[in-house]
Amino acid sequence: MTRRYIEIGVAMGVAAFLIAVPWLIPALTDNFWVSVITEILIWSLFAASVNLLFGYVGLLSFGQALYFGFGMYGVALGIDHLGLSFWPAFGFGIASAMAMALVSGVFAVRLSWHYFAIITVVFSLIFYFLAVSMKPLTGGDDGINFSLPPVFRFGRMVWSLTDPTFQYFFVLAVVSLCFFLMYRVINSPLGKGFLAIRDNDLRASLIGLNVYVLRLIAFVMAGFLAGVSGALFAFFGRYASASYMFYQVSGEGVVWTIVGGAGTMFGPLVGTTLFIVIREIVSSHWEHHSLIVGLLAILAVIFAPKGIVGLWNGWMMRLDERDAAVSPAMTLQADP
Amino acid sequence: MRDTVLLLAMNGLIWGLIIALIALGLSVIFGLLDIINIAHGDFFMVGTVLAWFSLSATGNFWIGFIAAPVIGFLIGAIIQRLVIQPIHGAAALSIVATFGLSLILQEIVRITFGATPRRMLAPIQGTIPLFGVDYEIYRLFAAGVALAALVGFFLFLQHTKLGTWMRAVRHDRETAVAMGIPARRVYVLTFGAGFALAAFGGAVAAPITTVDFRGGVDVLPFCFMAVIIGGLGNLPGTVAAAVLLAFLEGLIQSVADPTVARISSLVLMSAVLLLRPQGLFKGFTK
Repeated sequence: MTRRYIEIGVAMGVAAFLIAVPWLIPALTDNFWVSVITEILIWSLFAASVNLLFGYVGLLSFGQALYFGFGMYGVALGIDHLGLSFWPAFGFGIASAMAMALVSGVFAVRLSWHYFAIITVVFSLIFYFLAVSMKPLTGGDDGINFSLPPVFRFGRMVWSLTDPTFQYFFVLAVVSLCFFLMYRVINSPLGKGFLAIRDNDLRASLIGLNVYVLRLIAFVMAGFLAGVSGALFAFFGRYASASYMFYQVSGEGVVWTIVGGAGTMFGPLVGTTLFIVIREIVSSHWEHHSLIVGLLAILAVIFAPKGIVGLWNGWMMRLDERDAAVSPAMTLQADP
Repeated sequence: MRDTVLLLAMNGLIWGLIIALIALGLSVIFGLLDIINIAHGDFFMVGTVLAWFSLSATGNFWIGFIAAPVIGFLIGAIIQRLVIQPIHGAAALSIVATFGLSLILQEIVRITFGATPRRMLAPIQGTIPLFGVDYEIYRLFAAGVALAALVGFFLFLQHTKLGTWMRAVRHDRETAVAMGIPARRVYVLTFGAGFALAAFGGAVAAPITTVDFRGGVDVLPFCFMAVIIGGLGNLPGTVAAAVLLAFLEGLIQSVADPTVARISSLVLMSAVLLLRPQGLFKGFTK
């Protein structure tokens, strides 16, 4: 029971904090941190796409930056070249990311483990080099800038992401919705199929699951998550650049996920928060902040191989056991 | 036209031999420790930087040829003991750990060596005519050294006690331990040897490329390609694939720009992964 109360308390505390951010943060420090938290939310969705594949289906993708980049370029090119307004551009970015995920997934999910990790990075490298060389269209490493269209317009009332508070709540709403969707998928029969494949793909196929199709569905869903985060990041930065498609971006997503806790719903959020907050705090004082990031990644896998959320779950489990010793009947209903 | 094709094909071949050396290190680490080493490109980069430092400290280029692999071996052995051993060959964790390692190595080099790329003068100057092209002598020399190192490493694996241990542990760890082979020590030595091979490749390549703290970033995907196309754990296959890939890229570069060459080899690699995941050369070498 203690565990229940603690977890509900933490969840409510985090939710209250996230809602209060636009008023709380300027009162405590300065507005800069509102934009950092916005960025954390966006990147945590990117990490969630790594987590959906690795944590729930057992496929370690090292190429999620490709779908992030497609979401980003979908938005930027949609606005800049096709003259789309906000929502069509958003949809175009997500749709192109999912289409790309479908096309590459058809090939990639045939492979497993090392081969899967490597083919995903190869696909992302192919399109990275294409994006770098197609400079007139993509702007290469310099990227392309665009000006933001308004999100809603009712008569003379205009809501646009240029207002930092509106931008924050827009990102928070979209990210929360995506996490909620992911939660629903994981707890659906489809999600159970994912877990069965993660734990033993041979056994999953023997009980009649179509491993290939399920993996492909997961891959496209992960493409959706990465695409949404890329599209949001394009709106957030008002630009798109090929450099976000490089394999090091994918690698960061993997690191955030594993350090936060793969296979847990909020692990990616925790990992992303940790690394971005450290980057922002340290980089303003010391230019060699990568040293700390690298050290932290190593320490995390040595001392918390299941990630920070995994560590937390371990503590909670011990609380449960202690409770069980006091009143065995109470824990029967608790989720293990 | 014919001259450029020849020149770039030669460049590709020589670069391929150096890459083969680095990829061999990656393959050895992967095959024995089951570690996906994201930091391997940086091991190469550390080699180029060590060569630069030993040249500027002693004024003698050749000391770098000894210093880079020796220091590389020591750093590798220490890394294995501190970072790799505690994670027990869990491949997913090894990606995170070596990613962290890559950041640390790059940052240390940026602090000590600086962020500006530098060029190193080759110790052997001059060109010789070769198939009607004036070719830099140092490149030919580098190819020869790389080849000798490759042959030397294979001889080491086949004919020394340590090499036999390495092959035995890789083949069947349980039995090897039962026969009294100190597997833990073999792991340390293997990781050190993998680092040494990459660092030696770096020292050899330093006058050909630029010395830069981000120099490993481009090399890493290339090495992975060689390891995959050659077949995971197939050492001679890795070497052949590295040479083949670089040679092909050189050829394509003579008619198109380098990016197109890089994209074609990536497409080739996807095809190999999908059609022959056991590698291009299985059946030829065994």
